Amino acid sequence: MLDIRGLDAAYGDVRVLSGVSLSVGAGEIVALLGPNGAGKTTLMSAIAGLLRPGAGTIRWNGEDLTALRPHVVVERGVVLVPEGRRLFGGMTVQENLELGAFTERARRRRAESFARVYALFPDLRERRRQLVRALSGGQQQMVAVGRALMTSPALLMLDEPSLGIAPRLVAAIFAALAEINRGGVGIFLVEQNVQAALTLAHRAYVLESGRVVSHGAAADVLRDPHVRRAYLGPLAVRP
Amino acid sequence: MSILAQQLLLGLLIGGLYGLAAAGLSLVFGVMKVLDVAHGELIMLGGYGAFFAVGLLGLDPFASLALVIPGALLLGVVLYLGLFGFVVRADEETRVKNSLLIGFGLALALHALAVRLWTADERSIVTPYGGAVLTLGELTIPLVRLLSLLLALLLIGGLHLLLARWRWGKAIRATAEDWQAALLTGIDVRRAYLLAFALGTALAGAAGTLVSVGYSVSPSIGLEWTLKALIVVVLAGLGSMLGTFVGGLVLGVAEAASAAAFGGPYREVVGLVIFVVVLVARPRGLFGK
Amino acid sequence: MSDARHERAWAIGILAALAALALLPLAVRRDDVLNFVFLVLLSITLAQSWNVVAGYAGQVNLGHAAFFGLGALLARRLWIGGAPIVAAMAAGAALAAAFALVIGAPAFRLRGAYFAIGTLALGEILRTTVGNVLPEISTLPAATIAGYRLTDRYYMALALAALSVLAVATLAGSRAGLGMQAIREDEAAAEASGVGALRLKLTALALSTALAGLAGGLFGYYHISYYPAHAFNPTWTFDALLMTYIGGVGTLHGPVLGAVLYVVLKEYLAVRWVDFHLLIFGALFVAIVLLLPGGLVQAVERVRRRPAGPSGR
Repeated sequence: MLDIRGLDAAYGDVRVLSGVSLSVGAGEIVALLGPNGAGKTTLMSAIAGLLRPGAGTIRWNGEDLTALRPHVVVERGVVLVPEGRRLFGGMTVQENLELGAFTERARRRRAESFARVYALFPDLRERRRQLVRALSGGQQQMVAVGRALMTSPALLMLDEPSLGIAPRLVAAIFAALAEINRGGVGIFLVEQNVQAALTLAHRAYVLESGRVVSHGAAADVLRDPHVRRAYLGPLAVRP
Repeated sequence: MSILAQQLLLGLLIGGLYGLAAAGLSLVFGVMKVLDVAHGELIMLGGYGAFFAVGLLGLDPFASLALVIPGALLLGVVLYLGLFGFVVRADEETRVKNSLLIGFGLALALHALAVRLWTADERSIVTPYGGAVLTLGELTIPLVRLLSLLLALLLIGGLHLLLARWRWGKAIRATAEDWQAALLTGIDVRRAYLLAFALGTALAGAAGTLVSVGYSVSPSIGLEWTLKALIVVVLAGLGSMLGTFVGGLVLGVAEAASAAAFGGPYREVVGLVIFVVVLVARPRGLFGK
Repeated sequence: MSDARHERAWAIGILAALAALALLPLAVRRDDVLNFVFLVLLSITLAQSWNVVAGYAGQVNLGHAAFFGLGALLARRLWIGGAPIVAAMAAGAALAAAFALVIGAPAFRLRGAYFAIGTLALGEILRTTVGNVLPEISTLPAATIAGYRLTDRYYMALALAALSVLAVATLAGSRAGLGMQAIREDEAAAEASGVGALRLKLTALALSTALAGLAGGLFGYYHISYYPAHAFNPTWTFDALLMTYIGGVGTLHGPVLGAVLYVVLKEYLAVRWVDFHLLIFGALFVAIVLLLPGGLVQAVERVRRRPAGPSGR
């Protein structure tokens, strides 16, 4: 269970997060919504250990994550699929996935992790010897999610997984996320595709200008008039 | 004609060592974005290490690699933990600049230390088979230099395999591509850096050993070999160890060709000119992405 | 970075010290003392010349020796050929600056460390070529040797040291100097606010190499015989770099302090161990780069300005 209290973060003099508090329960799917520049990626980076918050705590199953280095956070079972995927382009699908099972704990489960990933994304099994940079955006996203799964996580965080991906593949990825969650893995999702996110998620938070302005059950947030106006206007993306 | 062929052959033979020398520098730069300009001094130390292993322990110089390589690995660990490990805490551009300065200071200190310990004299390892040659038609191939070339190739091949198959080798490659992604995958990037630096130093030590057998070593070869390694890295590009080896061969042959065309003293100049031209033709610097 | 009043105080102090040194040959007749001070003065000029590009334009020029060498080459040629020494040295400086301007524009396309290794390679190209083209030792004609007066060289060195200090002082206070410092801090921002980066860098380079060329001319004036390629040896660059960094790059007084310290240590240690001063300086340099990016001068500044409360980092 992820518990964040009073998180502040800044880049130099620019304050990006102010007093952010939220939580993700075991096995929950929680969505984080908000406009560009709201601080969503910063929040994800802070949880993952890539940046140090100025104040506040990030607790995972009671342990304080704030001072831990990113690879240790992964060892604890919290993994981030970053925006833009950040795969190792010069290496094959298989190698990328393999590297996912780098930590001690993950390595022990490597065989079953591989089985799980290939079951979820059969396309990848076919392409496993291909260089990742030769794949399409959607396939790369599958590799990214797969690689994260290989770390044997208890909480899977994703930053804009649908960005730049064909709608058909977005559906497939979201279906896979649902499947992953059914296997007991919690999901914390930053997503611009509000409709899809709120359909998948149990709960949601809305972040604006570095503050949490709204939260609740996904269905309620979906019905919130402010949310509808801001994020589901005429340009709403259909799932 | 056969004189030219002979010269080119000798160029090829030393080119293998240029490739080996460059491989260590390339690995460290590619993974850590650290430009260790003391790399040549590390080669120099490897050469002295071999020289004394032979002189004091009576080892065969090629066998002394078994001592020099682990020793160099250890030295690499020490240098990383004591020096270059601090450099990697900055962003990429600052890193390159700081590593240049630190490498410079280190090179000076190592050079002065070597002069103090071993005098400025040239040393060469003499072996019973030192004069042996292989004759191929009109070509005379010095056996020691041929063995050195083969060993260099072997070592580079070994490195390539390490990077391709070893768990930490892959981690090193991943870190070289995207260190943040590597961290997010659970790779301890600082340890990857440490390993890469140690490996780079080991390669330098090995190169030094081979240099002292087939050629000679003195405290002042440091700068010379750093420049050779830099030239090959610029020529060959980052990312492929085998490509770096070939780049070394190309430089060796180019030097021999220019010495044949313009006279011996201009051997050094061609590499440097190539270097400057390539650097300037790619204004974003070495392999800017 | 010390403020302008500070620098002015330093400038006055240094020039006063140099003025005092003008009286030295009258008080002391010993050649070894004069030779020692000569070396310090030459080093000051060399370090200041390197400081112009590194400290004010923010680039590490590792080919600096090439300009020293070119100055020495031409000045010596002309002077032995009969030209008055001042004219010969000026010509040497002009040659150095001209060469710098030719390679400057393409060289400055390189960033940071690549500029450094590129200039290093260029310096080596020159050194090797000069060594091949002019391998014989250059010796003064007998008549000149007979008329050799150390005090002439001494006063020339003094004048050059003063000149280099004045030049840097003027630069630092000028608009060009401020523009250069802006580039050094953040080139992108400086460009955006209209500072013509390339032109300023070239100006800095021209001044730097002209001073180096003058120092080279002085070198050619001083030595009775030497190998022309020796003046192109990278150790001249490295010495300048060390002195400037240890004293404090980008300040007026840094290179002066660094030069004094360097030469004193070198002469003292050379009595016991040749080159040992380099071991110490190398280690010191590494420590400084790691710990204090600005050199010893910055350390002193920091100590003096220690804040009352807890510091931010």
